Amino acid sequence: MLKKEQNEYLTQTGPGTPMGDLFRCYWMPALLSEELPEPDCAPVRVKLLGERLLAFRDSEGRLGLIDEFCAHRGVSLWFARNEECGLRCPYHGWKFDVNGQCVDVPSEPAESGYAKKVKLKAYPLIEKGGVLWTYMGPPEKQPPEPEFEFCTVPLNQTFSSKRIQESNWLQAMEGGIDSSHVSFLHRGDLANDPLFKGAAGNKYNLGDLSPVFEIAESDGGLLIGARRNAEDEQYYWRITPWVMPCYTGVPPRGDHPMHGHFWVPIDDESCWAWSYDYHPTRPLTDGEVAAMKDGKGIHVKYVPGTYRPLANKDNDYLMNREAQKAGRTFSGIEGIGMQDASLQESMGPICDRTKENLVGTDNGIIMARHRLMRAAKALVEKGVIPPGVNPEHHKVRQAALLLPRAASYTEGAKEALIAKKGVRQTSV
Amino acid sequence: MQSETARVTTARESSYRVQYPNSKRRDVKVVALDALSASLVDEVSREPWNGAKFFTSLSFSTDSAPGTTGEGLKAWLKDLAGAANDLVEEVASSDFVVVVTSAGEGARAVSLIADACALHNKSLVALVVPGPETTDAQISDSMTHLRPFARMLVIASGADYISAMLTALRA
Repeated sequence: MLKKEQNEYLTQTGPGTPMGDLFRCYWMPALLSEELPEPDCAPVRVKLLGERLLAFRDSEGRLGLIDEFCAHRGVSLWFARNEECGLRCPYHGWKFDVNGQCVDVPSEPAESGYAKKVKLKAYPLIEKGGVLWTYMGPPEKQPPEPEFEFCTVPLNQTFSSKRIQESNWLQAMEGGIDSSHVSFLHRGDLANDPLFKGAAGNKYNLGDLSPVFEIAESDGGLLIGARRNAEDEQYYWRITPWVMPCYTGVPPRGDHPMHGHFWVPIDDESCWAWSYDYHPTRPLTDGEVAAMKDGKGIHVKYVPGTYRPLANKDNDYLMNREAQKAGRTFSGIEGIGMQDASLQESMGPICDRTKENLVGTDNGIIMARHRLMRAAKALVEKGVIPPGVNPEHHKVRQAALLLPRAASYTEGAKEALIAKKGVRQTSV
Repeated sequence: MQSETARVTTARESSYRVQYPNSKRRDVKVVALDALSASLVDEVSREPWNGAKFFTSLSFSTDSAPGTTGEGLKAWLKDLAGAANDLVEEVASSDFVVVVTSAGEGARAVSLIADACALHNKSLVALVVPGPETTDAQISDSMTHLRPFARMLVIASGADYISAMLTALRA
């Protein structure tokens, strides 16, 4: 349960809010590289943290993320011509470069210097791992580039997708650290999904529906361990890392690619659910990539030409009561991503946490909220850089392993939880 | 035509949710397992709580050493006023039990509380709040003792998490 003011504190990320300030300390995924495939391609509207922006790749391949609206009369520059190293507004021909600098005002003599005095707000946009990342905070506090393993392996070892989620970011992210729902909501998929099935560890998930949880703070966020009974006086541990503010990893299964999410606020009532899959030591197979593009695993099928899921609230998520009754899916919704999204969107645009009744096994969620509030307060009041900004905090891995019953997962899995180049994931 | 799901998930429709309470008061028992955590629990107890009851130590008779179960379990919880309360009765009247330790030997006593929880099918949440002098080895030792008994085991870096967790659980 949260008090109303605490709920507002955590869910509002627009400019000038404490959580908005917190998010503006980090590099965040903004677009897929495929959205700006070549120089002078069509610009793309982007809304992040309640700010409407426009992304484009100029004639020389440079990336820009600028205020969406022309400084002259407020026209959306989405209609602009992307040509000769800038966006030219089709209304009166004003032109802006990737830094938001106005470089041409045709109605004024070039010698007047008028254009130099006009500049749109612009944020840096960098390309890494097939993802375009932005940093929306003060330039003087821009941190080093992100080092999450999925965006540092060779491109043929990684695959990312994104889908729009019509809910506040927090209820989406909380699903990513709520390990206890997996044995219910997603139980049908362990045996059937091509990106999950066949792993030896699946039998422990399906054989023990009452996992026991341990939560430990890490430098960048949390390590959430879920243990289940295994043979020979061992526990089967699945360890989920959360890196502040919105990165979560899903513990791996066998030699399948590892996956996880970023939950990036668009505004207070919608977010981007980013989904990544990667393998630390080998290229993804054609079959794996085909399955990901087909919406398997944690990815989704799209409404053609968009990043909106094909199953969405407008079609009741293609609810299949027959499959629900027959047990093929637990909720009647197909696909892990939409099983989560359908329920999280059903909470309403911003979940009313004053009415919830948490239990002990929700401590991962409780602690994540606590750390977010504590970090935002320290940032706003004392300027303390929050956990998760330092790229060293990104070098964490999810893991699934068997340990002796007396062993601590933070100790027993210590090496497994560190991302190391060329080292295979620890997985059962 | 807009689907029923699309219609009811708007902010406007969210405002029509019933405003009646959906749960009753929780009876949460919070037990400190060592001296340092006792001072933390004492401090937390001064905040306003719904139905939480706080205890600063556990004592037990020699024939109720850890491992004793059922009616043979004779142990007492000391409340903030210094009164001794029967462990089994306190657990029986709780919704769930939270134990707090700063790490170290006190964690061993948890098995008695766990026995009482098992007797009445209550959940046990264990919170480790390391003190400034606590070593990694002591934390690990505590975790080893707590692990078999707690449904949720948390290592928190600050004492303020005790309050945050109890508030979140409507204690």
